[in-house]
Amino acid sequence: MTVNLMIDGLACEAAPGQHVLDVARQNGVEIPTLCHHEALAGQACCRLCVVEIEEASGSRDVVVSCTYPAKEGLKVSTNSEQVRRLRRTVLTLLAERAPLAEGALPAYCQEYGVTGYDLRFTVDKDEKCILCGLCTKACAELGNSAIETTLRGVDKQVAPPFDEPPAACIGCASCAEVCPTGAIACEDADGVRTIWEKEFELLRCEACGKPFATAEELAWLKERLLDTELNLAYCPSCRGKMSLKDLT
Amino acid sequence: MILAQEKLTELLQAYPPERQHTLAVFQDIQKECGYLPKEHIVAAADYLKVPLSQAYAMATFYHTFSLTPRGKHVIKVCDGTACHIKDSKGVLQSLERLLGVGLGGTDADGLFTIETVACLGCCALAPAMQIGEEYYGNLTDEIIAEVIADYRRREAGEVVA
Ligand code: SF4
Ligand code: FES
Repeated sequence: MTVNLMIDGLACEAAPGQHVLDVARQNGVEIPTLCHHEALAGQACCRLCVVEIEEASGSRDVVVSCTYPAKEGLKVSTNSEQVRRLRRTVLTLLAERAPLAEGALPAYCQEYGVTGYDLRFTVDKDEKCILCGLCTKACAELGNSAIETTLRGVDKQVAPPFDEPPAACIGCASCAEVCPTGAIACEDADGVRTIWEKEFELLRCEACGKPFATAEELAWLKERLLDTELNLAYCPSCRGKMSLKDLT
Repeated sequence: MILAQEKLTELLQAYPPERQHTLAVFQDIQKECGYLPKEHIVAAADYLKVPLSQAYAMATFYHTFSLTPRGKHVIKVCDGTACHIKDSKGVLQSLERLLGVGLGGTDADGLFTIETVACLGCCALAPAMQIGEEYYGNLTDEIIAEVIADYRRREAGEVVA
């Protein structure tokens, strides 16, 4: 079963309930996002992906496309003047919160002409984090729940318990990987990974020789996936290239 | 004050080892200790099978929990709208003069900690404050001085007796 909707005048087909952002991207329509990650869907907190919609009933609204379900007869406008104005406001607030954010946020600011904002809402001028929560979600789902958002209100931050190097951290770096603003420091150098003020020895892939995982991460995986020892000796990219026969 | 292992175990085992009881356990610990000692948060997380990161997040999210030792009596100065208008700031200043510490501080005797709350729910008594389970309203410098002196006398009396 499919539903039919219009995105910027383009007729699109979608599975019922599929998110508008998804459908748009499938059809080559770009919508800017910061807190959206395919593997960790449903954050819906950065509000950058706003679009205008008109339901089949004629009612109009502004919604976040990353969690809004596609419906029969929906008309979506992803780049109207109103949408761009709202995005400029969102970008201004995010940039004021995190003046040192790297990557997509400053790039979008440039694209939308958001410059020279004052720092009325800036708590920490060295801040990079926009509190999207992707890192803590990644840590809970892919890692070992080592970090969380702590405190509340303007003091809210991402941190390990007691602001100490977290005992639970396995050095998988999922948090740093998903962070859209480069806010989590993670360095791989000379076979050692440094993250959350902890050091991990990096193991090398037995096929290509590239460092690819920490010993703690593999031990943790082995416990949960009951994977074979051989399989885990190879990096994901080499594992992908090998036939099932080579792996066993 | 850190609880003895036996006492802590008893406190924890009053609840089934499930995450939904985290806040209740924290409340009990704080009631006993006056704050949430780090080792007790760790023990509670362990017992309730909650990741320590999440237990710590809860402990720091709620205003009611303190992670540092507090005075024997916690003074909660109401800073809700009514008290704010009726000069809750003056109440804080008066306490500061009397105790020698400001908001968030604990006096040298470890007797009082000064905090604020959003609203005590007794606006007709504004400006008001709460010490332990007692409420004090229509506060003036004189009344505040009297209340503090009274607590100090009682504490001294307790020591003698
Ligand atoms: S550190 Fe990065 S991923 Fe984590 S909340 Fe902040 S911006 Fe999001
Ligand atoms: S991408 Fe939709 S709210 Fe962040």
